[in-house]
Amino acid sequence: MATISIPKPSKAHDLPRRILMSEYFILYLCLFSFALLIPFIPVIATPYNLSNLFSNIWPLFAVAIGQTFVLIIAGIDLSQGAVISLTSVIGAALIAQAVDPVVFSKSPLWGSFLFENGAVLAHSPLGIPIAIGAMLAVGLLIGFFNGVAVSFARIPPFMVTLVSSMFCGALAIFLVKSENIINLPTGFTHIGDDTGFFSAAMIIAVVLAVLAQLVLSRTVFGRWLYAIGTNVRAAVVSGVPTRKVTVFTYMFSGFCAAAASIIYSSRMGMGRPTLGDPLLLDIIGGAVIGGTSLSGGKGKILWTFFGVIFLSLLGNALSLLNVPFFWIEIVKGAVILLAALLDVIRTRIFLRNV
Amino acid sequence: MNNTQRMALPLLKNMPVILFVAIFILFSLLDQRFFAVANFSNIILSSSFVGVVAVGMTFVLLTGGIDLSVGATMYITGAVLAMLLEQGTPLPGAIAAGLIAGTLWGCLNAFLIAKVKIIPFMATLGTLTAGRGLGLLITQSRHIAVPQEMRFGAEKFLGIPLPIVIFALVVLVAYLVLNYTATGRQIYAMGNDPDAAKKAGLNTTRLTATVYIVSGFCAALATVIAISQQGSVSSSFGKGVEFRAIAAAVLGGTSLFGGVGNVFPGTVIGVLLMQMIQNGLIYLQVDLYLQDMITALVIFFAVFIDALRMRLLKRLERRNIRVEKGPGRVKAVEPITS
Amino acid sequence: MVDMILQFVQVSKSFFGVPVLKDITLDIERGHIVGLVGENGAGKSTLMNILGGVVPLDSGQMLFNGQAYTPQDPRDADRAGIAFIHQELNLFTNLSIAENFFINKFPRQGKVPLLNRKQIRAKAQDYLALVDLHVSPDTLVERLSPGERQLVEVAKAISVEASVIIFDEPTTSLTARETERLFDIIARLHTAGKTIIYISHILRDVLELSDEIAVLRDGELVTHGPKSEFTINRMISSMVGRDLEHLYPDRTSRPSAQVALEVKGLSKAGLVHNIDLQLHKGELLGVFGLMGSGRSELAQIIFGLESFDQGQVLINGQASTRLSPPRSIKDSMAFVTENRREEGLLMTATVSDNLGLVALPEYSTRLVNVVKQGALSKAVKETVSTLRIKVNDAFKNQAKGLSGGNQQKVVLGKWLMTNPSILIIDEPTRGVDVGAKYEIYSIIDRIAANGTAVLFISSEIEELMGMCDRIVVMGYGEVLGSFERARFNKEEILRTAFRENGK
Repeated sequence: MATISIPKPSKAHDLPRRILMSEYFILYLCLFSFALLIPFIPVIATPYNLSNLFSNIWPLFAVAIGQTFVLIIAGIDLSQGAVISLTSVIGAALIAQAVDPVVFSKSPLWGSFLFENGAVLAHSPLGIPIAIGAMLAVGLLIGFFNGVAVSFARIPPFMVTLVSSMFCGALAIFLVKSENIINLPTGFTHIGDDTGFFSAAMIIAVVLAVLAQLVLSRTVFGRWLYAIGTNVRAAVVSGVPTRKVTVFTYMFSGFCAAAASIIYSSRMGMGRPTLGDPLLLDIIGGAVIGGTSLSGGKGKILWTFFGVIFLSLLGNALSLLNVPFFWIEIVKGAVILLAALLDVIRTRIFLRNV
Repeated sequence: MNNTQRMALPLLKNMPVILFVAIFILFSLLDQRFFAVANFSNIILSSSFVGVVAVGMTFVLLTGGIDLSVGATMYITGAVLAMLLEQGTPLPGAIAAGLIAGTLWGCLNAFLIAKVKIIPFMATLGTLTAGRGLGLLITQSRHIAVPQEMRFGAEKFLGIPLPIVIFALVVLVAYLVLNYTATGRQIYAMGNDPDAAKKAGLNTTRLTATVYIVSGFCAALATVIAISQQGSVSSSFGKGVEFRAIAAAVLGGTSLFGGVGNVFPGTVIGVLLMQMIQNGLIYLQVDLYLQDMITALVIFFAVFIDALRMRLLKRLERRNIRVEKGPGRVKAVEPITS
Repeated sequence: MVDMILQFVQVSKSFFGVPVLKDITLDIERGHIVGLVGENGAGKSTLMNILGGVVPLDSGQMLFNGQAYTPQDPRDADRAGIAFIHQELNLFTNLSIAENFFINKFPRQGKVPLLNRKQIRAKAQDYLALVDLHVSPDTLVERLSPGERQLVEVAKAISVEASVIIFDEPTTSLTARETERLFDIIARLHTAGKTIIYISHILRDVLELSDEIAVLRDGELVTHGPKSEFTINRMISSMVGRDLEHLYPDRTSRPSAQVALEVKGLSKAGLVHNIDLQLHKGELLGVFGLMGSGRSELAQIIFGLESFDQGQVLINGQASTRLSPPRSIKDSMAFVTENRREEGLLMTATVSDNLGLVALPEYSTRLVNVVKQGALSKAVKETVSTLRIKVNDAFKNQAKGLSGGNQQKVVLGKWLMTNPSILIIDEPTRGVDVGAKYEIYSIIDRIAANGTAVLFISSEIEELMGMCDRIVVMGYGEVLGSFERARFNKEEILRTAFRENGK
């Protein structure tokens, strides 16, 4: 169900259509763009840059995996960025080694979680695992709320996740009065270290990806996802527990965001209430441009991987060209529109073909 | 069960007014100062520019769409306006240029959604990002102050502050368009049933394009008001406005699903309600950061009620097979078995 | 020379290869009321849809006022002066009556683009007076009862000066008083010289209203003549026609005495009332009724897609408390719904994915629910071959590309893969060609022979008579009667369904 059937050869412009509809379209695009950019920015092909590029790709890919699941059931999760921010703050608030009272004495967490000589679990041996567990739990919780609001209250997904995004973002800022919690234990910050190809980030992302793809292609749950995204009414009649599946899907999306947050927070060495804000567009853009459709029923983890690579490559190239920040934003916006346009075209071709 | 559903519906429909009165009473009880007349005019004054954006948003919501890019449109308008003023362009020219810039950005949305058929939230998410970038490009990320002549936010026209006058005018024109023009009524029709609208021969593409252009123009006009009051354009100008506008419209009774809502009293009440809540929270000295959270909860409440109303409506509209026939035509029939 | 306002000349139409109208030649005299009757699927709606520009005809032509009439869409029909009052009304519930009248033709008011509400209201008032509807033209449509809404549609038709008005089952949602009012209006329209086509299954009304009556059966015009030539009996006999033409497989089983499914006093406001039903193992129980009789709704309630207010549903003697599709499937029930394209199939998914959808949990490991792809593929292949589903590669081809009959087999196959002990099928041969029909009948017979209890809902009286052990007739959400096989009689059954069984 995850494969697109190649249309039968019919007209002269068949080759472009076949390329467009191919699973590897975005990969081709990446390689093509990469090759195109090398003469202009030779540094892009250096091992240093490539390793940098990939170390940025892994956590982004991890989040996008969750988004892919949500897109397959024809939903959308706009709250992932805020989940990253909130979980970053919560994790840090549990294990910061030293907290500056001048900065944090007004925070609502002061005296309960944050103390001058460290956060509440700062010196506990189980501190880091508990903090990680808490972050994941919060991600699951927010996902649960999103899922219930979408499947039981029947509020449109974009609205639900927009609201939860706002709420979580505000909550994160509220908890730390807009300040970053620093002084995280080295045990935690090591997670984000760039230990060559097999960094923790890479392992987390790949493990998530493999598990996610296995679920999609090998389990009942995965088949149910595609069924719901294709025709939810037919799925209901066929006995698919659509509401439960929806809730779990959004929970998984929250989980992925939290997992990525672990990597991002450990890399920055701080709990940052605005950590996830700039990421949302990359997440959605990556998933959609890779081929997962906004209208549901279609999607693969590999496609999302290609999409994320493409977007990161684009960002990488732009920053290497020293393009000012606002141009990057303009390009990102254009890319989102392009991704949506591509999706519209592909869907039309897909539906037309028998 | 049907009876409770039928009773719930008018309650849900009048939610804006009920909420308004309820919250007003609540805050007045919590803090006496809230009750003062001065506070009330303050509320309207601070909410004028959001109100104008919300009016534009109402048009879009009536067709079942959404415009997430209004904040970016505001920034572009503000950027053009401020930059031109900085370079010495006369005020009317600068304002006109700003309005045109913002409206053009709305035209981009119109094109992407009505012609290219990208779904509204995705299209406006893209133009939101690109638009912010464009604004930053124009201003080079600077914080630009505007000359004195632009700061007319405190001036009055017939004793009423200008921002409120403009807001009232916008509401008036919007009201006339929505209720007294063919286009306005067709917008409602399309929001209610797009298929029936097409069958009836309405130009749904034109109607869709129109609402996004209106939204862009309103955002641009709101910028003029906002700058006249704030006196400058910072790099975060317009951030978060889309949310407040959507919240105001939905709180005022406009449905996310289309076809339901009005600018007066609906959206106006919604705008005042949002501002009242914000003011009330400030008076109660509620933490600034907590306010955003409360706003999010309020919005959630509004869309929850909206979804509830839509479900009830769908259930009531379902065709019944068994109708109380009453005396007359159809004779009672004995089942036969053989 | 008789003045024919409308002429159908050898009009034919097929859907997905299945002929629905065969060479219809029908002349309609100006100013007459023509009653169009026939069973479900006889072609009445299709013929009117062609007339109204909703679907194109395949061959033949239509003449309107002697001129060739080729509507491309409903607007052309509107412009020509043909108004079609559907069962599904095309009104905007959030607008007022007056606005609905003028939504695409608001009168201009000189230079200013503003509407002249007074003028609009006055004109609307006139139209409402014509249909005797005494409500303010400013009333929102959502406040009107179905009967009043229908009158608004009629008023719309009058307002566009339509010369031909088609009524499609207009009285199903009307109270007795509203029906009387509608008939008064039709009489007035008649006096005003309008031509009216009246489709209804309430034969008494058709007989009373019409000047002439046309009977369709199986896509053919069986008889057409002045009212004086018709009685209700004659209408029913014409609809019934010759004896069983289709071939049905010999039944290879007999129902057992064990009750698999029992329904007691089942009621749901507005849908069904006091339904009592017993379905035995190995039995093929047919449920017949005209459009809108509540059969599909009953099936949905039994399967758990719809809630109920009173009564009980007992499966193998056990009363089911909270019905839902997953529960029903666990209780070994299966439901082939009546619209396979919207509810039965994932059109863009492969045939194999469709076939496996319901039985998936049975072909998965207990932990983690990994799909046992090997076993599943084997079962899929078996199903494809047993049911003789014609497809190149079940694992690659989309369900969309199959013929109607094969699509229906896929839906059946999907449910059969769960080995249900109770199977509810709703219109299994709709839009299916003759050859595939026979195959489907054989499949159903084999299913019953296996001991499965089958509830067979259909609008085709012949296939029910050919296949079933018993037939229950429903109408207006109630059970109107039941017939044992030995007593099967087409006219009697039809009469019961039309509520014309004399009592």
